Amino acid sequence: MNQPAPQGRKQRIIIVEDNALVAKFFQMALERAGGFSCLITEDVPGILREVAAGEVDLVLLDVSLTNAEWDGRNVNGVELCRLLKEKSPRRLPVLLATAHAMSGDRERLLESSGADGYLEKPVYESAQLVAKVRELMA
Amino acid sequence: MSAPVPSQPREETFIEEMKRYLHLGENDAILLKRLLPRLEKHLPEMAERFYAQIPHHPGASRVFTGGQAQVVRLKSTLQAWGRGLFNGVYDEHYADDRFQIGFRHVRIALDQKYVISAMGVVRSFLQEKMFDEFPNRKERLAYSQALSKILDLDLNLMCDSYFRATMAHLQTLNQELAQAGLQLAEANAIKDEFLAQVSHDLRTPLNSILSFTKLVLDGLCISPEEEKEVLRDVFSSGQLLLRLVNDLLDISSIEAGKLALQLEELDPRAVLDSTLPLVAVQAASRNLRLVDETLEQQLPLVRGDEIRFRQVLLNLLSNAVKFTPSGGVAIRATVDHAQGFLRIEIEDTGIGIPADKRDSVFEKFVRHDPAALSGITGSGLGLAIAKRLVEMMHGKIGLEGGSKGNGSIAWFTLPLASHAQPPEARPA
Ligand code: HEM
Repeated sequence: MNQPAPQGRKQRIIIVEDNALVAKFFQMALERAGGFSCLITEDVPGILREVAAGEVDLVLLDVSLTNAEWDGRNVNGVELCRLLKEKSPRRLPVLLATAHAMSGDRERLLESSGADGYLEKPVYESAQLVAKVRELMA
Repeated sequence: MSAPVPSQPREETFIEEMKRYLHLGENDAILLKRLLPRLEKHLPEMAERFYAQIPHHPGASRVFTGGQAQVVRLKSTLQAWGRGLFNGVYDEHYADDRFQIGFRHVRIALDQKYVISAMGVVRSFLQEKMFDEFPNRKERLAYSQALSKILDLDLNLMCDSYFRATMAHLQTLNQELAQAGLQLAEANAIKDEFLAQVSHDLRTPLNSILSFTKLVLDGLCISPEEEKEVLRDVFSSGQLLLRLVNDLLDISSIEAGKLALQLEELDPRAVLDSTLPLVAVQAASRNLRLVDETLEQQLPLVRGDEIRFRQVLLNLLSNAVKFTPSGGVAIRATVDHAQGFLRIEIEDTGIGIPADKRDSVFEKFVRHDPAALSGITGSGLGLAIAKRLVEMMHGKIGLEGGSKGNGSIAWFTLPLASHAQPPEARPA
């Protein structure tokens, strides 16, 4: 069961996902793969602070969010993505998680958010998630 | 024609066009006016002839609902109508009067065929009398033609009233149909939305079951404890899925009118006592006080379905527990003898619901839980089901703000057995 973690600094991933179980799966899949340390949160100011400090290596972002607030209103993944890109001092890859039903809108979402890639939910294969994350970080 | 030509060409009215078509001109009007003194004396006989026909036709005679008196009156009405044929003024008022007579027959649902045939009886009777009045063929001809034209005109007006009434009826039907179409489209849109929501809600726990099972199968857990934890998530997702499917079956059988309730006299005490323990565990695990304030009370019998009463209570109680992070949940009961109902209240010290959202929580799939407090949410159908069940038991349900400014009070009523009894079960 054990997977040895590679030496050196772990790469920091923020998971913004309103379904706690889905978020938990993302975290476990990435952390078990090794080399990643994940934070699950919908706290937008907190996320922006870390991003502005240049401490984040990738953000995994769900398109539909329930509790993410900015400027006194709810924001979705697309808006949050633009905000992240704007505040980040360095290249910050963002992986947008989209629900299966949204397939028609995917290209439009990618374009309007400025995200670097998308992940089609549901994800059952942890390897698929890890591969996608590694690809964006390369 | 010396009349000034109107700048805007006006559309010809029905009677104007028909007069033109029948060549009914001023000359005919003069002739018809002259005919009145010659034919008036025959009108009583015409009325007799007219009514002699009707008893042989059940479809025609069934419209006489006023007995002999009505027939007597109608005979003189028919004579008045006959005199009107010879008034010489065939204008819009004339047409209007005739249309009204026509509509009168439409309203009593007299088939058009009888009116047309009756007009034939009138025609042959009057033409027959023309032979007596004008033995000279040459003299008779012009008068006879004028009479024929006015009878044609009247027949046309009579038939057109039937046509107009039919068109008006069709128009009403069309409007009703369009309205029904709109309602159907709306209902369909709601159904689509419902379906989309249901498939999303079914997929969410299913996805968790699949992804976590795969995680374990891939050997990605670092310890047996973690494996257990992950399996617990799988298990609770399965439970959620089951709950959702059960709720869906409930709501669809309620909406299809297939859920039969067994309404009988119930002791609310027994229902409360058997339901509270089911949420007590849940409450205790979250350190919430669960207080039954009805224990000291003598509760009257109510009328309801025992299983559904318990289901409503359980739905409201577990909702209260679920959305109360700290504090407690209290159960209260009040009896309104005047109105004849028992009111059960469940007050929590939870997150509460804004006043303007309180009605909508009873709609399908409206959730006000700020998503996934624990990653596990209800089906979103619990309150919708509770509302329908309470209403099927002739009670009411609602949500109010908590008495201390926070939390909320969910309440429902059930009719008292002493009030709601069907007549045959009422004690003598
Ligand atoms: C040439 C054909 C007919 C003419 C000119 C005629 C004329 C009239 C007139 C002037 C009225 C009074 C309308 C009013 O009060 O608004 C009337 C009413 C009525 N007619 Fe006729 N009618 C005709 C054929 C028939 C036939 C064939 C029947 C039945 C078989 C019939 C049954 C009645 C009845 C039941 C009423 C309503 C009487 C009431 O108000 O109580 N009519 N008709």
